[in-house]
Amino acid sequence: MARILVRLNEALVSEPIVSEVILENKVLVAILAAHINSKGGEIILEVLDDDVDKLVSAFRQKGVTVTVPKIIAVDTDRCFSCGSCVALCPVEAITVTEDLTIHFSKEKCVGSACNLCVDTCPVRAINSTKYSKPENLSNRNEYREK
Amino acid sequence: MSKHDQKTRSLADINQKILKGTAQVLTAEEMKKLVESSGVEVAFKEVDVVTTGTFGAMCASGAVINLGHADPPIKIQRAWLNDVEVCHPGAAVDLFIGATNACEKKPFEYGGGHVIQDLVAGNEVELRATAYGTDCYPRTSVKTTITKDDLNQFQLLNFRNGYQRYNCAINCSDETIYTYMSKLLPHMRNATFSGAGELAPLMNDPDYETIGFGTKIFLGGGQGYIIGEGTQHSPKNLNGTLMVKGDAKNMSPEFLQGAAFTRYGTSLYVGLGIPIPILNEGLVRKTAIRDTEIFTDVIDYSVMRRDKPKLCRVSYAELKSGAISVNGKRVRVSSLSSLKMAKKVAQTLKNWINEGQFTLTAPIEQLPLDTVFKPMRQTQEIPFVSNVMHPAVTCMEHEEIRAIAERIVTKSVNHIVVINADGKLLGIVTSWDITRAMAEGKKALVDIETRKVITAKPDEPLESASKRMAYHSISALPVIDSEHKVLGIVTSEDVSKLLGR
Repeated sequence: MARILVRLNEALVSEPIVSEVILENKVLVAILAAHINSKGGEIILEVLDDDVDKLVSAFRQKGVTVTVPKIIAVDTDRCFSCGSCVALCPVEAITVTEDLTIHFSKEKCVGSACNLCVDTCPVRAINSTKYSKPENLSNRNEYREK
Repeated sequence: MSKHDQKTRSLADINQKILKGTAQVLTAEEMKKLVESSGVEVAFKEVDVVTTGTFGAMCASGAVINLGHADPPIKIQRAWLNDVEVCHPGAAVDLFIGATNACEKKPFEYGGGHVIQDLVAGNEVELRATAYGTDCYPRTSVKTTITKDDLNQFQLLNFRNGYQRYNCAINCSDETIYTYMSKLLPHMRNATFSGAGELAPLMNDPDYETIGFGTKIFLGGGQGYIIGEGTQHSPKNLNGTLMVKGDAKNMSPEFLQGAAFTRYGTSLYVGLGIPIPILNEGLVRKTAIRDTEIFTDVIDYSVMRRDKPKLCRVSYAELKSGAISVNGKRVRVSSLSSLKMAKKVAQTLKNWINEGQFTLTAPIEQLPLDTVFKPMRQTQEIPFVSNVMHPAVTCMEHEEIRAIAERIVTKSVNHIVVINADGKLLGIVTSWDITRAMAEGKKALVDIETRKVITAKPDEPLESASKRMAYHSISALPVIDSEHKVLGIVTSEDVSKLLGR
């Protein structure tokens, strides 16, 4: 499974674009999170690996901005399982196991479209390649759950 | 009375057993389970020592180092280790590395805590120092690299560690804040807490019966000692702290880790473990304390004042469950200290005692039970938002842009606050927004107003409101109360008039 981030501008936000793309391409898509208002929207979709290229070009043909979020990597040697990232994760991809180790699920993580956990790690064990410096992170870059 | 019915045992007996390898040692976690399953009497008979542990960010940590003399010698005035300015407390070549001192090149990423960890790990650290030069210490600068082996002394010296318990932090405001309690999302979207709860050393001996001046402890993976109560020690409300020291040359980088908190600064995670000798049944009951019996306050960290509102009380059991309930809302909560490492500290200390490497000491003096943590005496008032705010010029959402433009001119202001019939904040519109609306031919206020408004509270320091304006590149903040009712407005002009910027 792969995740793609779809960004709709003000003009496109009232159009049923996701439904159109699904019907026209006959693909299965899971909507993991969506944040939409009258000014535009962001939707995170989970799709089959083989469908990524087809979907990205289908969305782009309709004038939608599509990005395939970068993967968040956790340096497990560095992580000492404080857990400060756990409650920040909007999709509960970070959990505490029975022996109190922090477990990071690559499958659940929505990637650099969210990034909420990255700058909270006190030993900088969480990285996405998109933002190399935490100073680049501001409220505006944060993915907000509706 | 036969020996088996005795209700006390001595520290000397325990130490003899440790040296013979026959002492019964349990971690705090194991002790609680034993007392629950078998009762106090059995636990007293069976257990000699309980080991506790915690592993948290402890900002009031540091290290004293002695460099030895250079040739020609230097009496250091200012010094840096890996570009982190360190303190020169006196004499010629003694330095104090404070954990929160920041690196000049990457201030929020590397600091004194990381320097200490690097030294403990055996890494080379760059030293730069300057001086004014005297007849006895002629040199005015020095640059070299050092490792811990080059140092005469390398003593971890922490003036406040091992908090008995700590606050749970939450953010009720509209904006993300970055604190020493880590990142707090707006509208109570997350909470953080610190401390090991039922595993924490002082929580297992809250009357300081066995923990006192001179107690030998696990510190940073090596041995250390308690040298007194910590600063801000406040035992009456269960906020006791410890001052500790230990030879950092024998410590381990696993149990002393530099940390960086975004937009707050650096710190040091410290592993601290204390053995509690089970001298009587009272200590069995004390070490049986559970997370359900340890409470702390949920505090709103968005209020930028010394006294922050307490929203509710929660137990460490609730905190460790991953979610708490605040004003009827479920809030997910994260630990900042590592409970996994806290258990490892207690287990390592248990192993040392079992192997006969670590014996227990009786305190030579008790920790104080009656000190209070006073606020600072202040002889100068600082300005708050309420001191400079003035009434806001407002409008309603249905008004025409032309009417609003007129108001901007007649009232000679740049910001009009959009409110509803109850006087609650809906948005803000600036003279620039009006100009743009004219250029683009827009007629409705809803098309041009800013809905996500950055606001100020009346009791907030003016300086923090000013910083927020600069950060968001805006020139005014509507002042609102807790119900979002508009009380007034504060502008960058007000700030510069008063603060002279």
